[in-house]
Amino acid sequence: MVAYQGWGVYGGGVAGSVEWLLLAYRMPREPSTPRITVWRKLARLGVAKLGDGLVALPADARTQEQLEWIADEVTEAAGEATLWRSRLTSAAAERALVERMAGTIAAEYRAVISAAAEARASTPVRAQTAARLRRELRRISQRDYFPPAEREEARRAVESLITEAAVR
Amino acid sequence: MRWATRAGCHVDRAACAWLIRRFRDPGAVFVFVDDPVEVPADATPFDMRGVELSHHGGDCSFETALRVFGLADPVLWDIARIVHEADLADERFDAPEAAGLDVLCRGLSMMLDDPAMLAATGPLFDGLYEYRRRALLLGREPS
Repeated sequence: MVAYQGWGVYGGGVAGSVEWLLLAYRMPREPSTPRITVWRKLARLGVAKLGDGLVALPADARTQEQLEWIADEVTEAAGEATLWRSRLTSAAAERALVERMAGTIAAEYRAVISAAAEARASTPVRAQTAARLRRELRRISQRDYFPPAEREEARRAVESLITEAAVR
Repeated sequence: MRWATRAGCHVDRAACAWLIRRFRDPGAVFVFVDDPVEVPADATPFDMRGVELSHHGGDCSFETALRVFGLADPVLWDIARIVHEADLADERFDAPEAAGLDVLCRGLSMMLDDPAMLAATGPLFDGLYEYRRRALLLGREPS
């Protein structure tokens, strides 16, 4: 969470430069299935959770379309949803949000990197494991809006695993 | 008949337009709008928020259109699986073709305006239909 840090964050007067889409939504507690489905879809898109029923993604044609469909799904499930375009009033707060999103994704890449190392240690390296990690990597990179250094490292780890699985 | 959809067509809209022209209305004329309020009164909207021929219950518009038009052709439902994954990538189906179809449609939409996009993707879906038809008949991937 981006904490309100008084002058530290909001005093500079420099606004953020990223345009964000905010989805504010509310769904009935029961039935829980539509609520869980919606949350899974949002998680797959890599949203930043800003609060209860408030998530953010950087705006582009794809994220807007995907969030519009999810907003409709919320409405169809007797919920309420509004989609907003906005900009942070503080560049520092924006940096914190971007870092938080990149940090979440970096952890996902690190999990792939260690899974690849583990698979490498076992012999023979199973082609299935390598292929599964490659799919996982693709899934992660689809929700990677602010690529961290781990992205390239994870890609190399999985590719060399694939090569080894093919050789053995 | 006139049919309306959002400008900037991608895979789901291109697939719906192909479906409409080939299986519903050979003389279909397509209108592209930026906002739902711009849909002409005599046009049937598709793949737009809040209309019948759109995303519903986790289905993409192509799947909804098959249901609404009452099309039971198994080849079309097979294509629906691919379009769903190309559009939504929610892994509801195992459709390895989806990633390729998605890239081809994205690339074409970068070069072409909407009418040209639909003209170019028509043969793409014709080919996909023929391929999946043969695959279903053979019970394996055709060579």
